[in-house]
Amino acid sequence: MDPTTTESPSPTTPAAASADAGRPAIIEVEDLDFYYGENRALDGVSLAIPSHQVTALIGPSGCGKSTLLRCFNRMNDLIEGAERTRGTVRIRGVDIFGPEVNVMELRKRVGMVFQKTNPFPNSIYENITFGLQLQGVRSKTRLDEAVERSLRAAALWDEVKDRLHESGLSLSGGQQQRLCIARAIAVEPEIILMDEPCSALDPVATARVEELIHKLKQEFTIVIVTHNMQQAARCSDRTAFLYLGKLIEYADTQTIFINPSDSQTEAYVSGRFG
Amino acid sequence: MSEPDTRRPFAVTSRYGGERKVVGERMIQLFFGGNAFVAVLILGLIMIFLAREGLGFFQLNRANLEVYRKAGLEFVEPLRLQENQHNQLVRRMFDLRVESARALGRNTELDREAINARLRPLDDFILAFEDAAEPLIHASMNLSDLAAEIKMAAIEWEETEEYRGGLKPDFDYETARESLVAFLGTQERLNEMVAANLRRVVNQGNQLEWANTALARAFAELRNEALAFATDLPGAYHEMSTWDPNEPVPTWKAWSVFLTGSQWLTASFWQDWYGVLPLLTGSLLVSFIALAFAVPLGIGAAVYVNQIATRREQNLIKPAIEFIAAIPSVVLGFFGIIVLGELLRQFSEIGWMSWWPGFPVAERLNALTAGIMLALVAVPTIFTLAEDALQNVPKTYREASLALGATRMQTVWKVILPAAMSGIVSAVLLGFGRVVGETMIVLLCAGNRIAIPDFTRGLEVFTQPVHTMTGIIAQQMGEVVEGGIHYRALFMVGLLLFVLTLTINYLAQRAVRRLRLPTI
Repeated sequence: MDPTTTESPSPTTPAAASADAGRPAIIEVEDLDFYYGENRALDGVSLAIPSHQVTALIGPSGCGKSTLLRCFNRMNDLIEGAERTRGTVRIRGVDIFGPEVNVMELRKRVGMVFQKTNPFPNSIYENITFGLQLQGVRSKTRLDEAVERSLRAAALWDEVKDRLHESGLSLSGGQQQRLCIARAIAVEPEIILMDEPCSALDPVATARVEELIHKLKQEFTIVIVTHNMQQAARCSDRTAFLYLGKLIEYADTQTIFINPSDSQTEAYVSGRFG
Repeated sequence: MSEPDTRRPFAVTSRYGGERKVVGERMIQLFFGGNAFVAVLILGLIMIFLAREGLGFFQLNRANLEVYRKAGLEFVEPLRLQENQHNQLVRRMFDLRVESARALGRNTELDREAINARLRPLDDFILAFEDAAEPLIHASMNLSDLAAEIKMAAIEWEETEEYRGGLKPDFDYETARESLVAFLGTQERLNEMVAANLRRVVNQGNQLEWANTALARAFAELRNEALAFATDLPGAYHEMSTWDPNEPVPTWKAWSVFLTGSQWLTASFWQDWYGVLPLLTGSLLVSFIALAFAVPLGIGAAVYVNQIATRREQNLIKPAIEFIAAIPSVVLGFFGIIVLGELLRQFSEIGWMSWWPGFPVAERLNALTAGIMLALVAVPTIFTLAEDALQNVPKTYREASLALGATRMQTVWKVILPAAMSGIVSAVLLGFGRVVGETMIVLLCAGNRIAIPDFTRGLEVFTQPVHTMTGIIAQQMGEVVEGGIHYRALFMVGLLLFVLTLTINYLAQRAVRRLRLPTI
């Protein structure tokens, strides 16, 4: 990626036009059932997410889109009573629920950005190097390089390069979210999961993050959960519509928004319910 | 067109409509506000009370020191010191004799009779060494009695009705001291004689035979010290001849004797000393031991309960730890005496534990016993507050860390604990405040020996008996004369304790404020 492009924001264009459904799938979900205690959150979901694309998961509250997203890096493991009862999720062909899977290694490959911005109460520099230091990287030059590379990739370098050792919490909301993205990028994942990354941001900050997402897909595969229909339309290549734990429709974003084949999808994307 | 307004008017001017309600609300506000300010008021009252009763101590202590000087007790002090030094030398010689007897018993087939016969020359030597200083000891005892008598007479004089009414003149110290000071005339000769005697005896000591080289070396060292003692004897004369009974006692002396004095000695025949240092070091030592146990326990338990435990474990552990706080401290103290003290003693006597400094313990009740029991008092405080601090760390930090591939333990160490550090520091400080003020347990378990613990003995210091600031107040307050110097001295100890805990609390609050997490 060319870091110099950060200065000249290009207009965000509907990405669907360039979507290539023929790309190899990096995440394959097959017949997945997921429960929180007695409550079924996912019901027989199957879909294949292509690499180096932005895939949006949309649907009304409680439809299971966040649950599905958190299956990909097994963050659901943290919730007591959460359990996959059937089906598989394969990343690069490996069943991530398999017994030989090291969850920590999986999460290094599948990064995550949260709805609530959550930089650690440390300096910007320490926020970015956290993941690398976990992996035992001690070399100052390597850490410095990683910080610059990640911040440039997250389009934050120019704004913070002179105050890397100030607290990450001194940044504005939008900057904090881009810092979180930089932090996720720093450990060089293949996939970045974003759970409503813009829901707490103002429109200007949202636009910047969307622009960033669009740029990041050249290097990473991105899966994004969003409530915001325009956002899904603007920045995703593929869109999956979930409703009551079922995958209703999954297609190119353009198809979903312009010519959906399911009436529920059509009702949802046109704003008649949800 | 407009309809008449039939709703209740809001502009109420009548006395019973609006204002009464306002008065009612005022009352409620006053009630709550009053309750809130009671705490502030009580804190202020306690401070005033402690200061009023305690600060009078310094005036009395100054008078006490003045009598000490005028009655000539201070004059005799160098002699008493020499007597004391001589006593110690003799005691160490006896220790060497005991060692020698033991060594002989181990290495030879001799029976008790034969061993005693072998050691007769040493016994004679020690006896001669004792006798050599006889005139010095005699003089010291005589002068001590004289000075004590003068002091008694002076106190009695000043307590008579006539003196208080201004009918009698001040006590005539000058005349009373005459016989004391007269001693100076004979002292030089006495010193020379004693020194010569000591030297002679000590020099004879080189003919003694020793069971092994270690003993011989120890004895040689002791002889050198004895010779040095003999050489230093005239030093006391110099000190005593330049002593000025009329030199006024400065006010700061009354303070410094209290704050840095190493003796707390009351109801003594000679002179009462109110030095808080033994009590302060005792309190701090016991608290330090308590925290050494309670901090890892409390914080460890808090981390486990907050980060690792299942809900069922939480429901078991939390109430259990919090219940410890509900145990009356006298029960804990009792347990400390009967069970822990005894266990500790037996444990320390196990052969393979003897490598531990201070084991086997000389006293069943010591700083370690009290410290361990006090740790139980501190654990609930530290646990509860540390757990709160951990609970207050935003859950999103944990998620962020795990999502970056950290293990649960890495997350605890690198994210949760640093983020909760302010709360944990404050928890530890408040735990410290809690144990330093605890009374019953230390009174029962600490051994109550009023002396600065001997820190030169390294880790052994932990198994020495100590006394504490809280303990001394509880122990002695019942037996002092109200308004007397001892009574006021105890109040000063209380004031010091109050200031100490207040400072700790202030620091704890500052720790929280300084390191507080930003709210997200």
